[in-house]
Amino acid sequence: MSLVWLLVIPLLGGLAAWPAARLHKHAPRLISLAALALDLAICWPLLHAAPGSWLAQFTCPWIPAFGMDFRLGLDGMSWLLTMLTLLLGMFSIIVSWREITARQGFFHANLMFSLAGTIGVFIALDMFLFFYFWELMLVPMVLIIAIWGHENRRRAAIKFFLFTQGSGLLILIAILALAFLHQRVTGTLTFNYFALLQTPPSGELGFLTMLGLFIAFLVKLAGFPVHVWLPETHTEAPTAGSVILASILLKTGAYGLLRFVVPLAPVAAHAIAPVALWLGAASILYGAVLAYGQSDLKKLIAYTSISHMGFILIGIFVFNTLAWQGVIMLLVAHGVSTGALFIIVGSIQNRLHTRDLGRMGGLWTDLPRLSAFGTFFILAAMGLPGLGNFVGEFLILRGAWPVSPLVTSVAAIGLIPAALYSLIAVQRAFHGSADTTRHAPDFDPRETAMMLALAAAIIWLGVYPQPVLNIAAPAYSVDPSAFPRHAGEGRHPRLYFDIPVSRA
Amino acid sequence: MNLQAATPLLILAVATGLLLLIIAIRRAYLLAAGATTLALLAALLSLPYAAAATAPAFPGVFTFNAQSLGFIGLILASALLVLLIAIPYWPAATPVPREEFSLLLLIGTLGAVALAASTSFAALFLGLETLTLTMIGLVAYPRYRPQAEEAALKYLILSGMSSGFLLFGIGLIELACNSLNFAEILRFTAPDAPTQAMLLAGLAMIAVATGFKLSVVPFHIWVPDIYGGAPAPSAAYVAVIPKLAVLAVLIRLLPTAPLSHGLITAITVVAMLSMLGGNLLALRQGNIKRLLGYSSIAHLGYLLVAILAAGAIGRIAVMFYLVTYALTMIGAFGVIAALSSGAEASDLDKTTDLRGLFWTRPAAATVMTVVMLSLAGIPPAIGFIAKMYIFAAGVHTALWNLTSVMAASTVIGLFYYLNVILMMSMKPGEAAPRTLRLPMLSRLAMAAIFLPVLGFGIAPQPLIAALKAVFG
Repeated sequence: MSLVWLLVIPLLGGLAAWPAARLHKHAPRLISLAALALDLAICWPLLHAAPGSWLAQFTCPWIPAFGMDFRLGLDGMSWLLTMLTLLLGMFSIIVSWREITARQGFFHANLMFSLAGTIGVFIALDMFLFFYFWELMLVPMVLIIAIWGHENRRRAAIKFFLFTQGSGLLILIAILALAFLHQRVTGTLTFNYFALLQTPPSGELGFLTMLGLFIAFLVKLAGFPVHVWLPETHTEAPTAGSVILASILLKTGAYGLLRFVVPLAPVAAHAIAPVALWLGAASILYGAVLAYGQSDLKKLIAYTSISHMGFILIGIFVFNTLAWQGVIMLLVAHGVSTGALFIIVGSIQNRLHTRDLGRMGGLWTDLPRLSAFGTFFILAAMGLPGLGNFVGEFLILRGAWPVSPLVTSVAAIGLIPAALYSLIAVQRAFHGSADTTRHAPDFDPRETAMMLALAAAIIWLGVYPQPVLNIAAPAYSVDPSAFPRHAGEGRHPRLYFDIPVSRA
Repeated sequence: MNLQAATPLLILAVATGLLLLIIAIRRAYLLAAGATTLALLAALLSLPYAAAATAPAFPGVFTFNAQSLGFIGLILASALLVLLIAIPYWPAATPVPREEFSLLLLIGTLGAVALAASTSFAALFLGLETLTLTMIGLVAYPRYRPQAEEAALKYLILSGMSSGFLLFGIGLIELACNSLNFAEILRFTAPDAPTQAMLLAGLAMIAVATGFKLSVVPFHIWVPDIYGGAPAPSAAYVAVIPKLAVLAVLIRLLPTAPLSHGLITAITVVAMLSMLGGNLLALRQGNIKRLLGYSSIAHLGYLLVAILAAGAIGRIAVMFYLVTYALTMIGAFGVIAALSSGAEASDLDKTTDLRGLFWTRPAAATVMTVVMLSLAGIPPAIGFIAKMYIFAAGVHTALWNLTSVMAASTVIGLFYYLNVILMMSMKPGEAAPRTLRLPMLSRLAMAAIFLPVLGFGIAPQPLIAALKAVFG
């Protein structure tokens, strides 16, 4: 039941925040913040709620005519991503405190609806319910970009909408095909994830089904060559929108690949792995090279996301636990570091009214705290050892090496332009001399506290990553004993080889 | 003669006569509108009574089985919804008498009910012409609007031509089969029956007339002009009621009719062209009523996919889609009607007129958003479930070509639906909104649209169960 509350509370919070703007200008902010804090209080204890890989679950019939259930389940991976969603959701509300002044009731309602949809994506275990949430998180985000975004917001919103919706249709057709293939084998129509695991589709149809899911999730992950929506969308969105887009929504693509593509169609996933690996390597290089050429700081960060998601793609499709651990690690660390970077760029834009690197320079003298945090998070994103992103990228490369040394080498080459664009961004934005005198205030205590929390998280992830790895570990091998088995199944859905993970 | 099964038809017929009398005795807008509402409600509520009938009424002319009564219920409910949006649309300042609008609506509904239940070409033609002629009146009702008169004239000529085709076809068929009854004619089309050129020609002509009534490509040219010129409530009526009535006959007959391979190919091509054509043509529209016209062409194309995907899923998919289509089309025109006034020279129907609606009239904008999401097939609106249903039917019967064309055209369609939503979310323009508060009845109509569109989008099971009980 607590999983239902996890979904309902942000929805109610959004509904309450909408008209609350009439009462007081802070009312929508406080209501949204309180709702997310309450959600966090519900989500946190779930980690130790139950033994086994499924921490919590909930099922009730939804559309029995199609065998669709309202089936929710939370395992370690879902828990991590839900926590990430809630935390960065709270940060994006805090960062909008000054930035969003117009129609903030509606803004916070959209923000909360989008977050609720994202949480739904992470905990839905009925394929159709998953798709429902997948679509649900989109429209509020489009409105956030379209109403509160920067100069080219309309174009960016439409692009984002078309790409995500179009790929969504692929998911719909693929899950319908999966369900009907299952029906052909067992005689029952169901969209239950665990039932569908028992009947991996085979042959050409199975491959096409998997391909549909793969492309759709690749679009969401913004992998090369279907990344084209990302730079514009992330750049034009308001800061809170960019944070949620980069830190959370990108992760739904990776989550879909890990949760659905790999276990549901293992044969087909293995068949497409070489392509996926090269696409990952291409994303790394392409994102890094293009980030190097940007003069808009926000766009630069957007392109680095493409680069980092390339690592994720490689990590998923080398099919070993080491790399998958790296993927989870990088998902969380990238969420934190990129979220922080977008917050910093938003702060710079609020103060200087520009995102152009050419017009920054010398910020360190005027805004020392902002610049210090900016440098820190750019270095974190670059993969500086000791910080969270390094652990993720290292594990992925380490796991990929035995599978494909060539792809791993190419991916590792991508670290060179990464160092280049990071250092150049630091140098152009924060160092040098300012060409104008600025009277912008430095980070206030609210912003400093937020940054300190994010910095602490990234350091903790880098220095002591084992807890995160342990939490996510059970997700790599689907444990059939946790859920009732589907009638007539024979195949044990244990996937691939297991590398023992210490469970402290 | 046992007439129990025909109760809804009889109620509408008697009510039409009574309404004429009422208007003749005392001209009062709300009285006439109220009487029409009562008549439609009474006919709707009489459906269970009619369904309980044991003996057929008017055998050989009409069929009142569960399926046709289900369609009649859908027609009556849609007519009620259109009436609900039409009543506040005509203010006291309307330069023409307002009472006859409800009268025309009632007569048209009578024709639609007759058409939906017809089982012989005589009844079919009678019902269709009753419906078509009153629709011309409905379109031209604000005769002080040149664009309405133009639309009505166009509709008169084009529907006259399609009626001509239909009548010619009926004549040829009658010559070939010596009967006007559907069941007897269908016997001649069985695969083992000798092919008759005359019968074939007759059926082809009827297919053209049907294509015109359903406004599928390539018989769609009239749609945007008529929808654009008609006042919003009439456009809603034209968009929904005749299609429901014609589909009622088609869907009743199709399972019993042996479809030749060629015919299936023809319907497939028409469906693909309608989906792509409707959505592509809507892309550059700046007028919402015309945009909805093109959108309805595309939606009929989707519906044809479900019709082609025979089987249990396909059947319920068709019905679910029809309910969704009726609800959302009336809903979209309803929002325009609520924002406009019949007394003025034109409706508030430019896309740019909706600019900033979220901030000037948030309730209407919210309803419009949900309706647009439904038309685009995005949760949490009912259109999402309807689209899923059609995709399920298509995937289930492995109609891969149609399904992929539908997916592609859905993506194209997203663009213009989103455009409307984005337009409403922009900053309000210079022009001040005409009225800031909606009248009570308009608000009621908005609620009557909003609640089912959202409710059945979140929990569709009650509707599915009801449709299965009636049509399954």
